[in-house]
Amino acid sequence: MSSILKKFLMALTGLALVGFLIAHLGGNLYLFLGRDHFDGYAKKLEEMGPLLILAEIVLAGLFLTHLFMALKLTGENQTARGAQGYADNSKNQSTPASRWMWITGLFVMMFLVVHIKMFKFGEREKPITAKGEEIIKAFNGEEAAKQFARESGEHGSLYGLVQKEFKRPAVVGFYVVLMLVLGAHLSHGIASAFQSLGVLRPGWLQCLKPWCVALAWLIALGFALLPVCTFFGIGIN
Amino acid sequence: MNFTLNVWRQKNANDQGRFETYQAKNISPEASFLEMLDVVNNELEAEGKEPIAFDHDCREGICGACGMMISGRAHGPRAATTTCQLYMRNFQDGETLTLEPWRAKAFPLVRDLVVDRSAFDRIIQAGGFISVNTGNAADANALPVPKDNAELAMDAAACIGCGACVAACKNASAMLFVSAKVSHLALLPQGDAERVRRTLNMVKTMDEAGFGNCSNTGACEAECPKSISISNIARLNREYARAKLLS
Repeated sequence: MSSILKKFLMALTGLALVGFLIAHLGGNLYLFLGRDHFDGYAKKLEEMGPLLILAEIVLAGLFLTHLFMALKLTGENQTARGAQGYADNSKNQSTPASRWMWITGLFVMMFLVVHIKMFKFGEREKPITAKGEEIIKAFNGEEAAKQFARESGEHGSLYGLVQKEFKRPAVVGFYVVLMLVLGAHLSHGIASAFQSLGVLRPGWLQCLKPWCVALAWLIALGFALLPVCTFFGIGIN
Repeated sequence: MNFTLNVWRQKNANDQGRFETYQAKNISPEASFLEMLDVVNNELEAEGKEPIAFDHDCREGICGACGMMISGRAHGPRAATTTCQLYMRNFQDGETLTLEPWRAKAFPLVRDLVVDRSAFDRIIQAGGFISVNTGNAADANALPVPKDNAELAMDAAACIGCGACVAACKNASAMLFVSAKVSHLALLPQGDAERVRRTLNMVKTMDEAGFGNCSNTGACEAECPKSISISNIARLNREYARAKLLS
């Protein structure tokens, strides 16, 4: 496969993953609408059944292709540079984000493993069943009764899990830092993908690049907002 | 002006290579960088030592023969300038300068600051020319070329093939060079006939020569002495996709 075809693959899978991130962030904003909306959204997704599994397989395929090509390209690039480096390497005329794509990429991969383990396979708080409703009614809607009703329920609430995890300072810190890393990765990646696909004509590059960088940080800061707002109880309670 | 030079000295490709320090004394601010090296070499020869080997030819900034890393910048700190067109007045008196050859696996070292850039020649041989018979020299304006295309082709044709793009790229990628050559011919009607074949063959030869992949960092564009734009790389990517579909 030629160098340019490999870059096409990187760009296409990268842009598809950016599309996923936008959709994922959109869905996560339900957190601001409260427990019912967010759990309702999660339930709808889970009720898609085989379609959801198919979507997950496609996503995993995109991610693994992106990762595999990145490892291959990085290996080739390091071989091409040769064993003998420059003594003075401090004045390279490019952004740190563009030079450290594979490092930021590896951090994003590490984050993904933690993130999936935490929220896809994490133990969920149980919601209120019909019987639970009765108990709450009997106790005139007291908070302790609500808590009891939730704990005695059968199905997990993703909202409850998010609340639980994002009240832990270490988790919030981890998410915020890793979202900044993601922002750095995307701040080069999005515009770079358009360049690799050859859609940037002279003049477009200067015009489109700031928008790509803005989109990158909008996505990253949007995601970082969720744990921060949950932790401080701003808009998410 | 006086300078301290840390120069990479290496007898041949098999030699280990090391930095050696030299003093460049009483250099005129009007001397070019290569003239400064000439002065240092004269002194080395007078002392019976081996002069520093470096590539040079026209010394007018148009042939692409000269070029070295000067304190971490390809062709030195001035934008859009070849090493031969860089003057010592651009440096501070007493400055220490580190001189290194272009580093890339596809540019094997020959001696000191001289590298073998024949990989670029092989890329040109793979398609950087027009072999279809275009007849006698046509009258001016007999063959219409849109003004915009003429300008873009001319900008791309300014590439002198010095290799600074490869040297500056963290991946030692030759995409800026190849894209300039492909763009310059693809934008003109004379080059159109061999457009598909040229693009595929030049990219194939580039990959085989062991250059890296383009990460779109833009370091090449910043160091290019002819200010070749990376929009040419986008054009090469488009041309490659088109060539793959049409071949």
